[in-house]
Amino acid sequence: MSGTVVIEFPSDYKFLNIVDLVCGEVVQNLCVGHQAANEIAISVIEACTNAIEHGNRECPDENVRIVFSCKSDRICVEVGDCGKGFDYECYLRNIPEPTDINHIRGRGIYIMKNMMDTLDFEMVPGKGMKVKLEKLLKHKENDGGRKD
Amino acid sequence: MRIDSREKNGIIILDLQGKLMGGPDAESFKSAIYKLIENGHKKIVVNLHSIDWINSTGMGILISGYTTMRRNGGDLRLLHVSDKIRSILYVTKLNTIFKCFDNEDDAVASYEND
Repeated sequence: MSGTVVIEFPSDYKFLNIVDLVCGEVVQNLCVGHQAANEIAISVIEACTNAIEHGNRECPDENVRIVFSCKSDRICVEVGDCGKGFDYECYLRNIPEPTDINHIRGRGIYIMKNMMDTLDFEMVPGKGMKVKLEKLLKHKENDGGRKD
Repeated sequence: MRIDSREKNGIIILDLQGKLMGGPDAESFKSAIYKLIENGHKKIVVNLHSIDWINSTGMGILISGYTTMRRNGGDLRLLHVSDKIRSILYVTKLNTIFKCFDNEDDAVASYEND
């Protein structure tokens, strides 16, 4: 299956329910394994959480836009916000150790980085930040194990 | 998110229902934990059977509850962890921190074996 699905919603966490549902439907049509489907859904939710909280500062007047692009061998998801962005290169170099329980926050990007095959950020001046997630698709029967 | 509390063999079981994703959930869970500690309950099991999904902020809420319990000489263990939550625990290596159980009796009994 190939195609594009776009959803846009205000910056309110209650809409993450809809994101989860849409993600499930999109992924279901890709015939990926259960684990891969979970990893995609989890990563998209993380990106949306960051877009709401950090990008749009929980401002309901600012929207989060998700574009699901399904190709024969991969799924690409772009999550866009209206924010000013952040120094993601610096952050990626200094991701906190996830097992440090003195930090109760800060695991979202780590999760996305480890569950998806590609994680990129694009800052468009005046238009906000885009998080780009990509996962290579494997046939359901050959769904590999978790990445180390 | 809804939180219900019950006791089994001296162990408190918190039954969570809904989505664990931060916001008001953090305060309600934190309040529940502190209330338990005030009442002398330090061994708890958090039942995630009815949690639809969780994000990293929600995971932070569980971590906060865990550290609070541990600081007060207790522990917090997880019950009925879904595949999605298990994936998050595995990727973040928090599966090495949280003890997880698929059976309520086993979760409760685990405190007897401490």
